[in-house]
Amino acid sequence: MRATRLLAVTAASMLLLVACNDDPEEAAEGPSFIYITPNPIGENEFLEMGEIGTEAAAERFDGTARTFESTDPSSARANVEAAVEDAPDVIVLTTFQLTDLGQEFAQENPDQDFVLIDDCPEEPAENLFCVGFREHEGAYLLGIMAGNLTETGRIGSVLALDTPFFHRWSNSFYLGAESVNPDLEPDTQVTIGGDNPFADPARAKEQALALVAQDLDHIFSVGAGSDIGVFEAAEEEGFFTYGTDINNCPVAPDVIVDNNLKIVDVAAETAIELVLEGEAEPFTSLGLAEGGVGVMAIDEDGLADSECLIADHPDIVEQVREAADEIIAGDLVVPDPLDG
Amino acid sequence: MPLAEQLLDASLWASVTRALIPVLLAAIGGMICERAGVFQISLEGMMLVGAFGAVAMAHVSGSATIGSAAAVMAAVLLSLILAFGAVSRDGNPIVLGIAINILALGITSFLLPQLFGVRGTFQPEGGVRIPRLLLPGLSELPFLGPVLFSLSFLGYVALVLVPLTWFVLFRTPVGLRLRGVGERPMAAETLGVSTNTYKYLAVIASGALTGLAGAQLALGNVGVFAENMSSGRGWIAVVAVLLGRAHPVGVLGACLLFGFAEAFGFRLQGQGLAVQITDAVPFVVTLIALVLARKRFTRLLDLSETKI
Repeated sequence: MRATRLLAVTAASMLLLVACNDDPEEAAEGPSFIYITPNPIGENEFLEMGEIGTEAAAERFDGTARTFESTDPSSARANVEAAVEDAPDVIVLTTFQLTDLGQEFAQENPDQDFVLIDDCPEEPAENLFCVGFREHEGAYLLGIMAGNLTETGRIGSVLALDTPFFHRWSNSFYLGAESVNPDLEPDTQVTIGGDNPFADPARAKEQALALVAQDLDHIFSVGAGSDIGVFEAAEEEGFFTYGTDINNCPVAPDVIVDNNLKIVDVAAETAIELVLEGEAEPFTSLGLAEGGVGVMAIDEDGLADSECLIADHPDIVEQVREAADEIIAGDLVVPDPLDG
Repeated sequence: MPLAEQLLDASLWASVTRALIPVLLAAIGGMICERAGVFQISLEGMMLVGAFGAVAMAHVSGSATIGSAAAVMAAVLLSLILAFGAVSRDGNPIVLGIAINILALGITSFLLPQLFGVRGTFQPEGGVRIPRLLLPGLSELPFLGPVLFSLSFLGYVALVLVPLTWFVLFRTPVGLRLRGVGERPMAAETLGVSTNTYKYLAVIASGALTGLAGAQLALGNVGVFAENMSSGRGWIAVVAVLLGRAHPVGVLGACLLFGFAEAFGFRLQGQGLAVQITDAVPFVVTLIALVLARKRFTRLLDLSETKI
C-alpha cells in the first residue's frame, strides 16, 4: 500500500517535471519580441511581412516572437498594455495608426524598447526607434512609367486619406511623370475618406470611374484594402493603374503597370537587430539605397515573373533603372512632402 | 470639363445610381419597420452580414443567385434578434440595434479567416458577379440608358419597390393594418390585428431587403468582400428613412440626395475641393434631417409612452 502510494507520488512529480520542461517560457532563453498590428493581418501582406520580419529576427537571435493583432484603436491600446506588461526585449509596432500609442507607452515605460515601423512622432521618446520608408522614391519611379505611357496626358491618384504622408505617393508620382513628359496636364488627386478609407472598395471604384470620366488613363491607387475597387474599375474601363506596398500585379495582370514596394520584413528585422545591438537611431530611413523600397522594374530577378505590364516595355525599364541609380547615388533627390 | 457640363454627364448619374441602390434597398426595409413602429437601426449590420453571406455562398456555389439568396437568409436570421428582442420581449430597439451592428462586424471579421483563411478582403473564386441586365432597346437610349436601364437585377428590384411599397402601404388593407400597428397599436389590437405578427413580418422584410442591399454592394457594385465594407451605408439608410419621413417617395428622394452628394463630391474632389468637405456632407445632411425629424421623433416617443 505504502509502496503504491510512493509510486504514485513519484509518478506525479515526474509528470510535473515533464510539464515544466514543456513550458515555452522555460525553454526559450533568447530575446523575446512582440509584434502589434493596428488591424487584423488577413490578406494584408504589409502587416504579414512585419510578422515575417519579427519571426526572422527571433530565429536569428534564437528568441521568441509573438503577434498581437488589433481590430480597432481600443483593442490596439489593450494589446500595447498587455505587451508592456509582458516586458519583451522589443515591442514592434507598425503603421501610423499606432504612432500615438507607441509614443505614450514609450514615455511611460522608459525601460521598454519600442520599434515603430512606417511612421514616427515629431519628437520620439528615447526608447522609441522609428523605421521609415522613402516611399516618394518608389512613387517617382512609377511616375516615370506613367509619364511615358500616358496617351491622354492626364494622370492622377486615388488616396485613402488626405494627409501629407499619402501625398508622398501622389505628389511624387506626378513629379516623376512630369520629369519625362513636359506636355502633362495638371495633376488630379481624389481621396477615399469616409468611414472606412482602407477597406471601402466600392467607394474607391466609383472614384476611379469618376477620374476616367475626366479622361485620366493612368491612376495610382494608394488605398490598401480599397485598391481592389480601383483595379476592378481599370479592368472594366481599360485604364492603367499602379499598386502599393506589395506586388499586386497577379491580382489584375492586364491593368497594373507596377507597384511601389515596401520591403517591410527587411525593415522589421533590421530595426530589431539595431535595437538589440544598441545601435538604433531615433529615426532610420530606408530608401532605394538601403533596399527598403523599390518597384518591380528594378528587380532584375523578379520582373519577368511579376506579371506587371512594365515588363513589356524594356526601354522604360531601362530609363527607370537609370533614375533609380541616380537616386541611389544621390544625384537625384525626390522632395519629401512631409518636409514641406 | 466645366462643372455645368459634368452635371449632365451620364457617367456621373450612373455613379449616383450605383451609390443609391444598396442604400435604397436597406432604406425601404427600414421604412417598413418604421411604419410598423419598430425603430430599425441595425441596417448597417444586416447589410454587412448580407455582403458576407453573398460572397461566401457565391464562392462556394459559383452562382450569384445562390449568393444573393444566402445574403437574404443571413440578414433575416440576424433581424430575428431584433424581432424577438424588441417585439416579443419588449426590449429597447436602439440598444438591440447597436448590439446587432457590433455583432455583425465581429462575426464577419471572425468567420472570414475561419472559413476562407484570409482577413481583410476576399474575392469569390471565378470572380462571380451579379450581371448587369441591359434592357433591350431602353439601354441604348442616350443618357437614360446607362443611368437607369443597365442595372443589375437587384437594381431594378430596388427601383420597382418604391411604387410597390407605396401601393401596398397606402392602398391595401395589409398596408393599412401595418400602419395602424405602428401608429395606434391599441386601436389595431382592438380591431383584432395581431400587432406582433405585423411587427415580426416588418422586421423580417427589412432583413431580406437589407440582405439584398449587401449582395448588391458586394457582388454588384464590386466583386469582393472587405471587412466592414458597408462603411456607414446602413446608417445613411437609417437617416434616409427619417429624412424621407418613412414615405417611399421621400425615402427615394433622400437616397438620391446622398447618392448624388457622394458621386458629385468625387467629381468636385477631382477639381480640387478638399475631401474633408465632401466627407462631411452626409453628416451635415444627417444633422439637418434630425432637426427636421424632431417632431416625428417626439410623436413616436409620446406614442410609445402611452402604449397600453
